[in-house]
Amino acid sequence: MTSILYHGEPNGPSLTVLAAAFEKQVDLALERIDLVAGDRHSARVPHAMEVDQSIEGEGPVLVVGGTPMADSVFIACYLDDVGAGPALRPADPYARWQMMAWCRYVIERLAPAASYLGLHAAPPARAPDGIASMDLAERWREAVEGRFDEAKLADSRTKVTQATDKIEAQLADGRDWLMGDFTIADLETYAWLAGMPALVADAFADRPLTNAWLARLKARPSVARALSLAATAAPETIWAPGPEINRWG
Amino acid sequence: MTETGRVTLYHWEPNANSGKPMLTLFEKGVAFDSHYLDLLSFDQHKPDYLAVNPLGTIPAMTHGDLVLTESTAIMEYVDEAFPGPKLMPADPVDRWRVRWWMKFMDQWLGPSFSMIGWSVFIGPSVRQRDPAELDAAIERIPMAERRVAWRKAISGAFSPEEMAESQRRVALGIGLLEEALGKREWLASDSYSLADINGFNLAYALPLSQPHLSNDTLTPNILRWLRAIYARPATKQCWAMGRTDMAKRVTILESEPA
Repeated sequence: MTSILYHGEPNGPSLTVLAAAFEKQVDLALERIDLVAGDRHSARVPHAMEVDQSIEGEGPVLVVGGTPMADSVFIACYLDDVGAGPALRPADPYARWQMMAWCRYVIERLAPAASYLGLHAAPPARAPDGIASMDLAERWREAVEGRFDEAKLADSRTKVTQATDKIEAQLADGRDWLMGDFTIADLETYAWLAGMPALVADAFADRPLTNAWLARLKARPSVARALSLAATAAPETIWAPGPEINRWG
Repeated sequence: MTETGRVTLYHWEPNANSGKPMLTLFEKGVAFDSHYLDLLSFDQHKPDYLAVNPLGTIPAMTHGDLVLTESTAIMEYVDEAFPGPKLMPADPVDRWRVRWWMKFMDQWLGPSFSMIGWSVFIGPSVRQRDPAELDAAIERIPMAERRVAWRKAISGAFSPEEMAESQRRVALGIGLLEEALGKREWLASDSYSLADINGFNLAYALPLSQPHLSNDTLTPNILRWLRAIYARPATKQCWAMGRTDMAKRVTILESEPA
């Protein structure tokens, strides 16, 4: 039975999972949904606790043998396990720890910041019905009503700048990819950062290695193929509520 | 490049984030040198430890020359780098589910437990100390976010709304745990996994801290699960490393269902 991937515009977590599937040559039935219209909460998408309560927010859903799965980094790990393409995680346990710790940093610090800034620039018109998670529903209402906090916006710009500092340092030894070999860390980091040059230009000034890395990612066949699925001219400007900013540290 | 050298774990009580790699090491049968840090004396922000982990977060582990931080990522490393029983299931969907639960507990449910725990149990005792000394200790914390969190925790400055939201999440989380443990023997798969180790370190005190929400009547599967993990030899070894009475409070797990 072919697995089905319900994905939004190729930005954020949908971009990670689409590109990972293409890297790994996993044959999936692709079902486009409109995350900004709230399709993930409709009857179109199979529901399960792990989808409804996913703290990633509006991400893709992969249905494997009747099990709906959410959270892009872990779906990408799944695809890495089952696909025939080149490995997307290092084989060495320490290098793999580095990759998982990097991804944890991205999903905990960068993703909430990018999502907040993206939503601020392009808030959704209305919140959908049927959102099971109360805190995700509240993030929708805040975005729709334009209730953005100046301190959180400033902190989010700082977080994006910290991320590009970290990337610039990581690439300083001349490597092409964050972990040396191409991994899920490159995809997840790029997926959240692709829309940020337009919103936090300072974070990308004087960071030649980061900018070259962004260009390499955009040109990579799996990413280019994912981007070619966009229904809009600029998928990196399309945002639906993502992970929350940490409640306390 | 995996080292074959000694393993040293820098940890606090066999509890929460420290308890996750501790229990994993015991389950794998990996010998390690224990370096105990007193979280409430801010040992983790002192120069000796910052030389190991500049972010000042607990736990950290060294393996030969390698340094590892982030408790859940350390658990996966320990499972992969050492022989011993496999603590990740073989099925790729089950592996996804293990990671899903660990993220949900680390980033959504755990912080709510912590907020309540600090506010009710730990904050009041720390608050007895000299304010100037506490202030100096907080200033030594490397991460700005953590300075804010510690200030709030110590001063008890969580708003009623924040506390209510944490209590809402704890209640919902208990329901989701009970539901998942009603479907299968262990949290994320049919075999004992890192998700169970993670979950036990988060939830072992539930029947005591939230007795109106978690007990043999309302959450029989959570109690069954906690008792089963509590009874494991590795858990006994791990808890023997505790220095405070934190781990002695849960004798309820030694009893049969009421």
